[in-house]
Amino acid sequence: MRNDTIHLAGVYTKTVMKSWFQYSVDAVLRSLAVFIREAVGIVVIYFSMLKFDTLNGWNIHELMFLFSLLFLTYGILILFFTGMRDFWKTVRDGSFDRFILRPRGLLFQLIFSNADWFAAIGHGGLGIVLFVISAGKLGIIWNAGTVVYYILAVIGGVLIQGAMFVFVAALNIYLLQTDSLVTLFYWDLRKFAGYPISIFHRAIQFCMIYVVPFAFVNYFPSQFLLRKEDMAGYPAVYMYLTPVIGVCMYLAAYGFWRYSIRFYKSSGN
Amino acid sequence: MKKFAPYLAFAKKSFLGRSAYRFDHFMGIFDTILRIFIFWEIYRALYGGRSEVDGITLTMVTTNFILSMGLDAVFFVDDYYLPSRIQSGSIATELLLPVSIHGRMLANNMGNALFQLIFHFVPTVAVSVLVIGIAAPAEPLALLLFLLSALLGYGVLWTISFVAQMFSFWLINIWSIVTIKNSLIKVLSGSMIPIWFMPDWMQEVIHFTPFSSIYFMPVQIYLGQLSLSDILSSFLIQLFWIAVLFSFGMLLWKKGQKKLVVQGG
Repeated sequence: MRNDTIHLAGVYTKTVMKSWFQYSVDAVLRSLAVFIREAVGIVVIYFSMLKFDTLNGWNIHELMFLFSLLFLTYGILILFFTGMRDFWKTVRDGSFDRFILRPRGLLFQLIFSNADWFAAIGHGGLGIVLFVISAGKLGIIWNAGTVVYYILAVIGGVLIQGAMFVFVAALNIYLLQTDSLVTLFYWDLRKFAGYPISIFHRAIQFCMIYVVPFAFVNYFPSQFLLRKEDMAGYPAVYMYLTPVIGVCMYLAAYGFWRYSIRFYKSSGN
Repeated sequence: MKKFAPYLAFAKKSFLGRSAYRFDHFMGIFDTILRIFIFWEIYRALYGGRSEVDGITLTMVTTNFILSMGLDAVFFVDDYYLPSRIQSGSIATELLLPVSIHGRMLANNMGNALFQLIFHFVPTVAVSVLVIGIAAPAEPLALLLFLLSALLGYGVLWTISFVAQMFSFWLINIWSIVTIKNSLIKVLSGSMIPIWFMPDWMQEVIHFTPFSSIYFMPVQIYLGQLSLSDILSSFLIQLFWIAVLFSFGMLLWKKGQKKLVVQGG
């Protein structure tokens, strides 16, 4: 850590924001479009709940709370890990070679020279809206303990997903083409994550808990605060593991990244 | 017939062009099956063992999802066909060609749609039927009318995209408009929640929009929910929307063409 690191991060962030918001009308429209695209899933659940009342014991506000964690963590995640999500592009167009020549950490440059602000505002905004609507109606007692738990759970959730992105970026060094892998393991499994995982097939629950642990991003933290009946199917300790898993996964992914980067070969131009 | 020959060639070209990306194609099929599977699991949990809700059985719900998501894969529209040409400027030379650019666009989309019908719809529906099961068509005639209704549904979806693309004459980037359009279609067409289960006021609103005539009308015909006279009027509604949307798109096209400025050269 050099003493101008924070200053440099600030300069990067300012430049990135400027480039994203170059066309201001377009930027507002894009953020709105992301918001609407993601809100579609919520509207569908809202309508279904008007008809069916509960989904395996979860009512509409509890489902919204479950969803809010998913969106909120993604909104924060994408401010820091866009460079990892889109790492394959950086490799392919050769700009990663330029990063290597600069006297700063590669991860530092990748993180701070990229931030998908439209996704951050769209996803994060939706997460906040859902949290505000639902949090007061759930009977959660917000005291120092639950607030600290909530903050740790959000950080853990961001780290879990960040670790996935770092891991895939490191894999990209060997495989060169990983966008389909990301679709399969990240986006496709994420489609299940908005719902209580207890409603799904055993195999999918297994994937969500032990393979790509989305369950620890929103399901188990929500269970800690809501204590729904379907938690009986899982070990109670899982409700406390999110921050631990987040840190462990991130360290493991970071180690794998540091190890793999030595094998980086330019894709050539 | 000679007049259509170039368009057939365009359709054939786009059909063949699709077979180049095999892995992406398999991922696409997997994606559709996964989405059907998720909604099947959710609705099984929602039904919680009940045989029917408001006269709608779980089989009808899954049939709705399998057919509308299957058709969603077939109904290929390239929302950026015109925008990409306007942005790159190649539209200037394409307007000089002795074939209509709209005809080309339709031919290109239909070539893709045919490819999707054979290599996406058929395997997706086959897997879904084996794993989940589907209601049989109400009668043989219903299947035939379903196909006709689906074809008109594609027409409605295509003309909606046609109108949206025209905005690229006025906006630098229509990604936002296209994304919002597609989100509206997802909710209001019944492909994510069957229109039966929407609140009454919402169903009223949807009646006045073109969205229910894309997937929901064909599905209702397949399930035998409409009488013969209702089916005829559903065809008229679909034709009405195609005509209205296409005329509106052409109006924008004429206005836009006058405004067209191609940057650089």
